Amino acid sequence: MSDSDGILPGARGGKDKSEAEPSSLGSVLGSDPFEALSDPDPIDEWLDAAERFVEGGADSGAAQESASSGASASVRDFHRGRRGVDHRRGPTLSEVELPPPTGVVERLLDEDARRRVEALAEALPKDGTYDHFGLSAGALRSAFPLLYALYRLYFRVRSEGHEHIPAQGPAVMVANHGGLLPFDGAMAVVDVFLHTDPPRLARAIVDRWAGTLPFVNVFFARVGQVIGTHENFTALLDGGKLVLMFPEGMDGIRKPISQRYRLQHFHVGFIEHALRARAPIVPVAILGSDDQAPILYDIKPLARWLGLPVAPITPTFPWFGPLGLMPYPVSYRIVYGEPLPLHERFGPDAAEDTALVRALSSKVWRAVQRLIDRNH
Amino acid sequence: MPNVLVTHSDEPLGRRVVKLLWHDGRIGRIFALGTGAAPRAFDAFRAGTPPRLAYARIDLAKHRPMTDFFHSTQLREFEIDTLVHIPQHGVASEGPPLAGKVSARAAEARLVLQHALGARSIRSLVAVGSAFVYRLTPGNANHLSESSEIDLDPEASPGLRPWIDCDMLFHGEIGNPRLRVALLRLPTVVASGGYVYLHPGLAGRAGLRLRPLGFDPLCAVISDKDAARAVQAAVHTRAAGAFNLAGPEAIPLSVLGRWTRRPFVPVPGVLMRAAGASVGRFLQDPLRGALDGPHLRYGFTLDTSRARRELGFRPQYRIGLARAGDGGLHLETAHT
Repeated sequence: MSDSDGILPGARGGKDKSEAEPSSLGSVLGSDPFEALSDPDPIDEWLDAAERFVEGGADSGAAQESASSGASASVRDFHRGRRGVDHRRGPTLSEVELPPPTGVVERLLDEDARRRVEALAEALPKDGTYDHFGLSAGALRSAFPLLYALYRLYFRVRSEGHEHIPAQGPAVMVANHGGLLPFDGAMAVVDVFLHTDPPRLARAIVDRWAGTLPFVNVFFARVGQVIGTHENFTALLDGGKLVLMFPEGMDGIRKPISQRYRLQHFHVGFIEHALRARAPIVPVAILGSDDQAPILYDIKPLARWLGLPVAPITPTFPWFGPLGLMPYPVSYRIVYGEPLPLHERFGPDAAEDTALVRALSSKVWRAVQRLIDRNH
Repeated sequence: MPNVLVTHSDEPLGRRVVKLLWHDGRIGRIFALGTGAAPRAFDAFRAGTPPRLAYARIDLAKHRPMTDFFHSTQLREFEIDTLVHIPQHGVASEGPPLAGKVSARAAEARLVLQHALGARSIRSLVAVGSAFVYRLTPGNANHLSESSEIDLDPEASPGLRPWIDCDMLFHGEIGNPRLRVALLRLPTVVASGGYVYLHPGLAGRAGLRLRPLGFDPLCAVISDKDAARAVQAAVHTRAAGAFNLAGPEAIPLSVLGRWTRRPFVPVPGVLMRAAGASVGRFLQDPLRGALDGPHLRYGFTLDTSRARRELGFRPQYRIGLARAGDGGLHLETAHT
């Protein structure tokens, strides 16, 4: 497997993959660069070969088991049996008894949204207690009306493909990132929450830098966002959580306007974790985020000097001061793609194979980019 | 049936461990060590002929008394095969440095380990450590497993440095074929009445504390009863290695401070650093002036699956506020 001859150029490591990935795969300019590709997908051909190698080469019981048995059942059995985790399912909307609204803010929510908040709160540790990552039902209840207002009134989010969001069990949603401030993550979390029954809270993986920011670190933790460490990722998936991941990381939100809706290089750790936890990967395209704060220029030396990930010049920043960082009221569109059941083809042992992991990451990269291009 | 030697048994956690072991029918005889007078609670345990519990005062950080004790007839009669080392965790326990920057806690650990390795009868060492030895990275909170990175920064907070030194000493012997070493990494230990141990930011007397504004790290906690139960479980099993232990709750530092009568005043981080530097200059020791530290900014919770699997330990006590007879709310630990 480590034989490099069979590895696609786009699946190989390297610092700057932002341009390398599409070009190495023979992409052409146009709205959907992948339509021009021959069928079958060259990465799929390579993956077929890799799959045969994994199945034939080792007595990897897990890999063979995953190939032979029903996927969703085996995922649950795997988690229950090996890790002793039972995926707790919250009450469905019809099972929730809705108390009358108490505060002014709560009255701003429609009945469905309030019912969803109640359903989620019932599945979370009770008020005043916290989960392992600092999530608090009380804080979530307080913050939701604001996020809901942003979702409905400010960004006017439309979405489709909700049937692809797993109703239960671990899953990794992989989305594009953009727009300087991570409102795309917040809107995706709210959208998933409003379109699943029982409502699921996607746990977004955030950069470590967010953990160093006063107040922000506390707010993110209380509303369910988690810093992207390996242990955190593993714990979330082992606990059957739905994880929202932006594998571009900071490169996504600081990309210049010329790279708008072009995916940057993907970090590959999410593939390893998805394979180990046997979680499907759901590609997600978030359209609108790249228009909310177009970066004309990033003053990198200044950013380094200030210890910031980006020192942007946008049409409104720094000219209007901190207010210039406010996202423009663009309309968001979120599209969920068909899940990629990579865990059904490759067992947890495949996570140790660096070349395979890079190839799978490339495949996910293509799936997300294709989703963006088809809907943009 | 193991015969157990328990160090620092005159401190709250040690007392609880001794009591639990004494009531455990699967434990033979117990030798308790402490630096002060024998706790009154032990009086009943020391009755009987021969007594099942013996107590001796000894300074664990001093070489000569330790050597004399480990070669004493009294200890030989007890046929000790298991040593439970509970590092000093009391108020202002650091004392003067012994040699260079080696703290009393690290010096004790070194001598205890040295004698455990030298004594032929001792086959098992259970050491209580702190989970604050992990390098805390930005986040509130991060989940840490036994394989998470240890903080090897030589300029780590002076409240944490001795715990890291102790952890490294014991961790170095985990693979020893003759001596089984079980290293228990405990988070903040709380006890009924608002007592709190092992948190560097909450050590010392009740009263106001400072914390950086905008940070409120989540703290993993365990009740003292569960901590003692974990020691008991480690004595009985043959499992070796490091084990994270924690109770079911995680509590923000601000709440924990309020519950333990050590409320925190949020202060801008810049001011805290400046104040720390001034204190350090005044004391002519920059480390002693370090008011700020990652434990006041970044929280952690612990992955306890290894302890559950190999030690069979599951926490049984919850922590919360309960109304006492005087009408006030007090921190209590309650059996679930």
